Amino acid sequence: MSNIYIHAENLSYIYHDSNDNKEHPALQNFSLDVHEGEYVAVLGHNGSGKSTFAKLLNLILEPTGGTLIIDGKEVTKPDLTDEEILELRKNVGMVFQNPDNQLVSTIVEQDVAFGPENLGVEREELRKRVDDALMTVNMTQYAHHEPHRLSGGQKQRVAIAGVLAMMPKCVIFDESTAMLDPGGRREVLDTVRMLNRDYGMTVLNITHYMNEAAEADRIIVINDGRLLMDGTPDEVFAKRDVLQTVGLEVPQCAELIHRLREEGIALVGDTISDPEACVALLEQAYRKIKKA
Amino acid sequence: MDKIILDHVSYIYSAGTPFEQKALDDICLGIRGGCITGIIGHTGSGKSTMMQMLNGLAKPTFGKVLLDGYDINSTMEDVFEEWRILPEYASLSDRKAKKAIGAEIKKRKAGLCFRVGLVMQYPEYQLFEETVFRDIAFGPRNMGLSEEEIRERVLEAAVFTDIGAELLDKSPFDLSGGQKRRVALAGVIAMRPEVLVLDEPAAGLDPLGRSFIFDGIRDYQRKTGSTVLIVSHSMEDMARYCDDVIVMSGARVLRKGSREEVFAHVEELARTGLDIPQITRVMASLRERGVPVPKNIYTVEEAVSALKAVFAEEGTK
Repeated sequence: MSNIYIHAENLSYIYHDSNDNKEHPALQNFSLDVHEGEYVAVLGHNGSGKSTFAKLLNLILEPTGGTLIIDGKEVTKPDLTDEEILELRKNVGMVFQNPDNQLVSTIVEQDVAFGPENLGVEREELRKRVDDALMTVNMTQYAHHEPHRLSGGQKQRVAIAGVLAMMPKCVIFDESTAMLDPGGRREVLDTVRMLNRDYGMTVLNITHYMNEAAEADRIIVINDGRLLMDGTPDEVFAKRDVLQTVGLEVPQCAELIHRLREEGIALVGDTISDPEACVALLEQAYRKIKKA
Repeated sequence: MDKIILDHVSYIYSAGTPFEQKALDDICLGIRGGCITGIIGHTGSGKSTMMQMLNGLAKPTFGKVLLDGYDINSTMEDVFEEWRILPEYASLSDRKAKKAIGAEIKKRKAGLCFRVGLVMQYPEYQLFEETVFRDIAFGPRNMGLSEEEIRERVLEAAVFTDIGAELLDKSPFDLSGGQKRRVALAGVIAMRPEVLVLDEPAAGLDPLGRSFIFDGIRDYQRKTGSTVLIVSHSMEDMARYCDDVIVMSGARVLRKGSREEVFAHVEELARTGLDIPQITRVMASLRERGVPVPKNIYTVEEAVSALKAVFAEEGTK
């Protein structure tokens, strides 16, 4: 197995709520290892602590307890200098939900250049990075367009290019498809898959869409700031009842298999998160019963 | 007659500039009253513009929007045009005619924004009051209802949207995202609109939050018999909750019909960047492979009973 890229050990984040003057834990004793080049989907209901975890990885928030090591460097060291923090932040890029909130320039290529330019990348190198990033997300032909005239999916791809131009090793997608139509969602998901598969990038996709989570190699479920489940999509979606108790569900195809089994129909197989595998499983059961 | 009729409606943004763009192109459409109609279409297909037109927030550049047969954007000239052929009108003096026309316009526009409730995208950003109760009461209060009626409306809306009584005195800003969304929805429902229009009501919510919102909307529709229009990108939700579906593409209506009729056109939907529910695709593949399941399956419940029947039949042979 490849190197551990993210190592979280007993990580906690407690925030102070000025309304009731109390401390609330957003993340408690959270331990997790993510390997280099993994594609991990992060599930959890609204307010479960998913986004807090993402913000800790990018040092937007500082953990109140525990250890966090990213790419072999300890992020939770108490005496980090500002330079070190900036350096660490380059490791993990983030793409957010609303494309309109993260595009800053009036021209696509300038927008993509915004991040690396602020990192002090030299002009020649900058040009190359911007061109490469736009090529990667297949938006080269829009380099001179105005971002606000693009579709939602195109805008998100520009936002992804802006992150790629900073050359992080890991990208977190924080509900990046929530505001997109099915076509736009497909565009973004295909881009995510490609970054992971072809560029070996470590990917965390925080999502509320179970079908989207099923495309990852691994799913982690966070509930009330704790790690509730960790496994392959098939393993996680096999535990439908647990997911339901925390306000989640399984993809429709997995739901179908679960319900038919409850009706006493014998269906053999564990691959229930992929629609095509479900079709095969159902077909097989049908042939078997027909023969009998 | 259809509750809402769009009669050759066009809407042009930035008309006369180089950025001129048609958001709606000669739309002719009738929307049935007393049911839930879903509107699907890729981003920029004109859905949101059409929604805003229904309560007069956006006025058509050309064409008319009719609610219960009346043009919601009638002007003095329009009514004059309508009435000049009527014999009753010919007998009126100029002054009296003007007064009658004025009264008619007032009648047509009266309470349009109360009759057609619009829930925009991310409506929780529009919460502003000190307590949840006051926020939900804002609409009914503006309708000029008595305190008692306002209270009744707020409590009723809270039930539809599953907001517990203990939340009513809290600040809306202390609630979770899903709760805030429901408060915003309750604020519109409290006006008891005949037409409830919602733009992506469940965007960004987790599965439980989604079903809270959609179940609340369906309850409201079933109990009041009102007309509901929902814009959403989730085909699974559309298949589950909508009676009729309208497909928009490139500023025009591509297709309109019952959800069965619309989702039967898989290829066409895919071409316009849309999708069909996953369960529908699974069942279609099964059919192709010779498992005798019926066409037109759009929810998991339907799929379960169809497959149960198939397996039971084969089992008894």
